[in-house]
Amino acid sequence: MMSETQDKEGGVSRRDFLTLSAFAAAIAAGLGVLAGVIRYFRADVRYEESRSFKIGKPENFPVGSVKKLDDKKVFIFSDENGFYAISSVCTHLGCVVYSTETGFQCPCHGSKFNITGKVVGGPAPRGLPWFEITQDVDGSLVVDASREVPPGTKIRYA
Amino acid sequence: MYSRFYLSVLLISSLLFLTYMALVAFNGVMPEWKYYQLEYKDLLIKNAKDDAARKRAEAIPVKLQQIYLSAFNKEDRCTSCHIGIDNPLVANAKLPFKKHSGDYIANHPVDKFGCTVCHEGQGSATNKREAHAKGHTYWDYPTLPLSYIQSSCAKCHDFDMLSKKGGDKVAEGDRLFREKGCQGCHKINKVGGDLGKPLDGVGNQPIAYFSMKHVIGDHTVPTWLKQHFDDPRAIVPTSEMKVKLKGPESDLLTIFALTLRSDELPKAYRYKTYAQPPKQEGETLYKTFCSACHGEGTQSLYDEVLKRTIPAIMNPSFLKIADDKNLETIIKEGRNGTQMTAWKTVASGLSEDDVKSIIGYIASKRPAEAHEPFPIKDLTGDVNHGKELYAAHCAVCHGQDAKGGENLIGINLKNPTVTKMVDPEFLAVTIRDGREGTSMPPFGKEDFALNNQDIVDVVAYIRDSSKGSK
Amino acid sequence: MNDNGQSGLARLTDNLKAIGNTFVGSVFRNGPPTSDKTRAAAIYNNFFMHIQGVKTHINTLRPTYTLGLGLMSFFLFLAVVATGVFLMVYYNPSVENAFKSVKNINFVVFGGKVMRNMHKWAGEGMIIFVLLHMARVFFTGSYKNGREFNWVIGIVLLILVYVLNLTGYLLPWDQLSYWALVIVANIMQSPKELTDSLNITRFFDVGTLSTEFFLAGLVPGKEALNRVYMFHVMVLPMVIYVFIGIHFWRIRKDGGMTKPEVFTAQESDSGYVFPPQKTGGIFPTYKTYGLMELAQGKTPAVDRDVENTVMSWPNLLVAELAVLMFTLAVALVYSYYVDAPLKELANPLIPENPAKAPWYFLGLQELLSYSAFMGGVGLPSLALLGLVLIPYLDRELYNVGIWFTDKQGRNVSLEAFVISVIVIIGMLIFAVKFGWLRNWFPDIPQIIITFVNPGSIWVGFVILWSLHVIKRTGSTRLGAMAMFVMFLVSYVILTYFATELRGPNWEFYWSKDQWPIH
Repeated sequence: MMSETQDKEGGVSRRDFLTLSAFAAAIAAGLGVLAGVIRYFRADVRYEESRSFKIGKPENFPVGSVKKLDDKKVFIFSDENGFYAISSVCTHLGCVVYSTETGFQCPCHGSKFNITGKVVGGPAPRGLPWFEITQDVDGSLVVDASREVPPGTKIRYA
Repeated sequence: MYSRFYLSVLLISSLLFLTYMALVAFNGVMPEWKYYQLEYKDLLIKNAKDDAARKRAEAIPVKLQQIYLSAFNKEDRCTSCHIGIDNPLVANAKLPFKKHSGDYIANHPVDKFGCTVCHEGQGSATNKREAHAKGHTYWDYPTLPLSYIQSSCAKCHDFDMLSKKGGDKVAEGDRLFREKGCQGCHKINKVGGDLGKPLDGVGNQPIAYFSMKHVIGDHTVPTWLKQHFDDPRAIVPTSEMKVKLKGPESDLLTIFALTLRSDELPKAYRYKTYAQPPKQEGETLYKTFCSACHGEGTQSLYDEVLKRTIPAIMNPSFLKIADDKNLETIIKEGRNGTQMTAWKTVASGLSEDDVKSIIGYIASKRPAEAHEPFPIKDLTGDVNHGKELYAAHCAVCHGQDAKGGENLIGINLKNPTVTKMVDPEFLAVTIRDGREGTSMPPFGKEDFALNNQDIVDVVAYIRDSSKGSK
Repeated sequence: MNDNGQSGLARLTDNLKAIGNTFVGSVFRNGPPTSDKTRAAAIYNNFFMHIQGVKTHINTLRPTYTLGLGLMSFFLFLAVVATGVFLMVYYNPSVENAFKSVKNINFVVFGGKVMRNMHKWAGEGMIIFVLLHMARVFFTGSYKNGREFNWVIGIVLLILVYVLNLTGYLLPWDQLSYWALVIVANIMQSPKELTDSLNITRFFDVGTLSTEFFLAGLVPGKEALNRVYMFHVMVLPMVIYVFIGIHFWRIRKDGGMTKPEVFTAQESDSGYVFPPQKTGGIFPTYKTYGLMELAQGKTPAVDRDVENTVMSWPNLLVAELAVLMFTLAVALVYSYYVDAPLKELANPLIPENPAKAPWYFLGLQELLSYSAFMGGVGLPSLALLGLVLIPYLDRELYNVGIWFTDKQGRNVSLEAFVISVIVIIGMLIFAVKFGWLRNWFPDIPQIIITFVNPGSIWVGFVILWSLHVIKRTGSTRLGAMAMFVMFLVSYVILTYFATELRGPNWEFYWSKDQWPIH
């Protein structure tokens, strides 16, 4: 072959470069497809209740009141220090707890929580989470169950 | 340089593939609505009055917004761009951030009603072109022009309520609809005439239901309706529709027509104040069902579209000879072969009471004195003489064959309904006294001076030839 | 305790240390191929690769010979399967939700629109590429010499590709798919035309039977959607997997890709292969390998033309990979720019005018407009039968593996091409301008129109012309060539004619701009 000598000098590396880059590009394309497919499976819209929801104006929650929002699975408390929201979903296996005089009790496996949601008995691995409460521009309170706040965080809004 | 061909193909194809993957990914990550939301966020941050407000604005997540209306099984994603729809802080911002005008959303919260329930458009779309669905987007319900938006109010509210608050146009359209006699030809809820198409559900028919061939401008249902009301035959060349509308009336009727939908909103959304629609008076009923053709009813008129003469039904001489029984027969049975359809309950959906009310209204115009009696029983008609007289006096208006018809101002005398119902005396009196307000002169008087015998001869001829023509 | 005195725990630790190598070694028996021996092993020891020969003939690697068409069809199929599975994630086959879920795939699924476009275009691309592949196989005479049955399998695959495309067409449940399916339902009903004329519909209503089998009724409805979906994602794919498998397997068993009897490698071929490995092979370059030498019958290139074969690894694999990426890249670019159509929600009350079948059936719909039975059942069956019979009626082994056989073959093909273009276009002009029998004799019995219409006249003409060619040239191969060219030309012209030139009420229009606006 006429290019035998050239191959020995510079051609080989040129061919190697072509081989390398071609395969690298093909592999990159494959990885790109994989990444795209993983993203494709993540649905952008959900047909479930929003994790962030309005609960109404602050005046609907007078000081000292406890409201259990069954459909949202959250307790809304209001005391002198402000509003706070505690999840009513047991951290063990997801049953819905009910409030007792001393705190919360889970009906499924007997987990007990005190009034701030701290575990005091049973298999629950951690306390009931507290959710962030913010105020919307129109003045109503918004609970965002996707954002936890440290227990004891109470927000005062007018 | 071995196998360079396939390696080069592999390299180039892979790079091309990667490039377009990147483009697809970019479009996926940065859809149209995201730019709007980012701009909206900037706007809020810039206009924040204090630190707390700024913090709140900064915390707004940028994400696809969706209002899922489980009652309709539909989702509105309009608020992905119209993001400030219920935010008073952006009351004066530009579109699409601007807050909804007026106080509508105070009573119609966005998360309960969504947007397309009133505004139409394609709620599931996430880009402007397809969401507003103007032009060729293959969506049958483009956003409703704001001038017609009141038609949506009638999805839940009754006209009575709308006329008092916020829905003056659509309530006015409803009134016009009844006064212009539309139901004389069109059925709604099975009530009305048969000449035109039933109108139930016409307001939410797909665009393909309408012939858009002659429509100027947007090929949408509201445009079709509007231009059709302005000039029916410009849009549907074969239309026999009679409308005389002035100025904005065609817009008002368009708004009303858009309320005639086949679907109904879920009960939880409907808000009506009365249980039963108010009872309608004879005069209203007359306007709704009769006036489109008969007008005031005192004049007979030749109708260019229907190509025949429409008789006067409320002039004194007619009412003198036609008693209530007669009227009831005519109304209930109609006139075979003419545009006058039968108005008995099974055919038109009008109740017995409605027909009685209409007769009552017509009869209220009847003069107190009866017609001068005609000695019909004492005379025997001569058909041959009658034929000569008919040719000389009657044929010019009623036609040689007495069937009326195109370009003749007389009506058809041989219509089966006429011959069945009208007795010789009715004919004789009509010939003698004529009909004021129409072209039918009193042949027994003035220069014609037919005597009673002549009249009986003519009657005999008409009756005789009708028999033969059957 | 073992021989070298290691303790059990020490051995466990050693094994743990070596687990990387031992695991990979247990999966890939031979490690990276460095010699011809290991290259061969890489092929025949691998489940996915052993469908291919250890060595590949240079002729196969020449892009000008196969044009990669069969491979492209297969890779399009892979793309269709992959995108199809992803679409199933979001698609919901119910009359209430189908249209909505397709809209959602377009609007709110990441990359969903391109995914759907790719599924659509790769699927319809398969029709084109399978047809082109068939043309390549035909014109290189590759249906002969033991490959007859694989040609038949190929026809089965072609039909399956059509049916898969068609069943997919209904799924979006928009106006386009609904009314196309109404047309197809009528095509399936069309045997009625014949059974009616013969007055045997009462006993033998095959039209209604098949329609009800596929659509659970005579018009597409709720049940039809479920059923068609089941066929589309489940039954037909399984069937086509099997036939693709047989098709590939037969390529090997029937003696590999065809090639000219006398083959000379050219300088330019070096562009398609890697340099041969001179050292370390157990296979001398003048000999093929292993057990294949012992096998009976037509095995690939045993002791024939050995000097013109090269190792499949890496030569064939790189070529295949290149074609794969090429196919995917073109499909992706096309899908990026061209959106799959999605019209209004299906409305059984308001027909599309014209209601057209999917484009690949429009040639049939044109014939259908003359006679429902002939266009829908008779002629397509005849055409398929003709295609199936070709390898059994033409058994000349002269110049297999050479495009168009020889100069005379090229001439006959060209001649058939010109004549069929003229005749088909002439016939269409005639039918458009003067109408057909019923326009002249309104009372003519349907059975006469069923058998005497432009479609059947054309098919008769094709048969006669092919016989004429056979008689004139004394070669069945050339007769088959004329027939095949005429088949292709009529398919293309009729499809184009019905797609572009037929407007509302199936009337003739020079362009879509002239269609009356509804």
